[in-house]
Amino acid sequence: MSALATPGGRALSAAVVSAVPLLVFLALLAYFGARAPGFLDPATLILILKQAIPTAVLGVGLSFVVIGGGDDVVAGGIDLSVPSIAVLSAAIIADQLAFHGTGTLAAVLLGFMAAVAAGLCNAVLVTRIGMTPLLATLASSTAFIGFSKLVTANRRIDLSDPLIVTLRDGTVAGLPLGLLAATALIVIAIAAVHRSRWGLRLQAVGGNRDAAVIAGLDARRFVAQSFLIAGVFGGLASLFVLARGSGSTPGVAETLLMETVLATFLGAAFSPRRVVTVWGAALGAILVSALSIGFGSVGVDVFWTGCVKGGLILVVVAAAAVARRSRT
Amino acid sequence: MSRLASLPSLVGSGRAAFARHGFLAVVGLAIVGFAVANPSFLSLANLVNIVSGAVIPLIVGLAMTLVVALGAIDLSVGVALDFGSAFAIVALKDYGVPWYLAVAIGIAGGTLVGVVNALVVVRFRVSAFLGTLGVFFIGGSLQRIFTNGGGPISFRRLPTEYYDLAVGDLYGIPIRILIAAALVVGYFLLLERSALGRKIHAVGQQSRAARVAGLPVGAIVAFGFVCAGATAAVGGLIASANLRMFTPLAGNAYLMDAIAAVFIGASMHRDGRPNVPGTLTGVLFLAMVANGLNLMGLDFNLKDALSGVILVAALAFSVIQHRRRT
Repeated sequence: MSALATPGGRALSAAVVSAVPLLVFLALLAYFGARAPGFLDPATLILILKQAIPTAVLGVGLSFVVIGGGDDVVAGGIDLSVPSIAVLSAAIIADQLAFHGTGTLAAVLLGFMAAVAAGLCNAVLVTRIGMTPLLATLASSTAFIGFSKLVTANRRIDLSDPLIVTLRDGTVAGLPLGLLAATALIVIAIAAVHRSRWGLRLQAVGGNRDAAVIAGLDARRFVAQSFLIAGVFGGLASLFVLARGSGSTPGVAETLLMETVLATFLGAAFSPRRVVTVWGAALGAILVSALSIGFGSVGVDVFWTGCVKGGLILVVVAAAAVARRSRT
Repeated sequence: MSRLASLPSLVGSGRAAFARHGFLAVVGLAIVGFAVANPSFLSLANLVNIVSGAVIPLIVGLAMTLVVALGAIDLSVGVALDFGSAFAIVALKDYGVPWYLAVAIGIAGGTLVGVVNALVVVRFRVSAFLGTLGVFFIGGSLQRIFTNGGGPISFRRLPTEYYDLAVGDLYGIPIRILIAAALVVGYFLLLERSALGRKIHAVGQQSRAARVAGLPVGAIVAFGFVCAGATAAVGGLIASANLRMFTPLAGNAYLMDAIAAVFIGASMHRDGRPNVPGTLTGVLFLAMVANGLNLMGLDFNLKDALSGVILVAALAFSVIQHRRRT
């Protein structure tokens, strides 16, 4: 492209380009802070964090798959079914609690079993049958959403179960309980991926599958495990989805998917090597949530938010692509 | 003796034939199953019903075949379909344009979506998946903004010619089937019988080799996205003529089936490439399953779950078939 540019100048422009998504975000947040007086209050910040929980947990689940499968979206690792797994698990838990008189623990266990089974199904489709993750999870997500409609008859189910209410409203030492629980989950996930031998191997498999196999790693096993873990996180997220919505609502899977993909790939913009990371996904979720609440508080029409988020996806990935091009 | 010696190769070729045509065996089984469950499945009226119901999915499937043949994917075909429908209906209703102009405007609407995709993917080098996902969300949001939340725009006094796109017939053959047939032939000639088609497959199989060989890869990919957008818009024209309204976000319903049909079709190809006859088979199979499940009188939600499972199973089967051959 720029044959005349010096290497130093090229590196600088790459750094600038790859900072564009973050700059756009910071500019938007500053704008909200200036326009909506209450936007930077602690109460609003807590609300932003609480609203971010389901997306953050889902994004963490998705990032396991992306890290283990490589970040080429078509051929590498992607799990588009994590949000629909959460919706399916939430549907089962809500249905059991509301209409079958099942105990809280048993209902949650049933939902979890469905989520793990769904993750297992993805793992089999990808590692045994050999479907590309994109195709496998796109197809399986339609099946999961179909099952969740079957379970709930496509109706909203209100919940007032103590567990769900505690997760929504409970506080420990002044901090929301749900937030603490989610933070603990995310910290465990960060430790597993970025601070353990298993995590290093998972990253090796995703970074260069051939090299990892030559080094003696069973790549297929790691990929299968990443899909299983994504299923588990889908199940965990279902509790937070139920808490945020005070029950199970049909049709939330698409919004969740959009926010999860945005948060996870936006998170890559924070990492020094511009790769998807667990903590990046969690941070991305917080930014996405801040954006949603910010747009609400300056009175932007709710129909515009999809437009803005879709535009942000494009800005983020285009900046990453341009930065990669100018680096090589 | 010589017959014995040739036996293994006979078995081998039998297995290869099953691997390639195994999906047709599944289609046959499905037909028998649905016919047993409800004899009216095989009635002429119902078969015509299946084929004419498959027209819009087929058109979207053709668009997807082209993009997947380029080694990409287009998640925004539904948006292109909706834009085609919206542009045409608004042109007819608010500007009173003649029907042929409305058709042109609708196709221009879908082309616009294709141009945006081409810009994002070719110019900004965004991966086709994430780029078209972004366009998918933006397109959906624009439709909500435009319709103030997603209410349909209906126009009962459509010009007859426009209405006939969906319900009319020519010498007893429904016009929508003629449109689909013309597109099938056009896409077949483009992808399987033309120099451009060779180049498209070359880009899809080995993009770097194609570039080294001097092909204008960017221009070919851009052509694919634009052509796919325009094609999907034709589906939108038929949909809007059929219901005499523009229904926001209706196009997304065709996305999954289009992708599934393309991959089912690719599994039936000698080299596992997306191809027009394969997509046609895949679309008809999915339309048949939907129709058969309807005739069984199942609960709506159960049908949704079942068709999801069948989708996964059909795709898994076609991938296994493809792997067994290579």
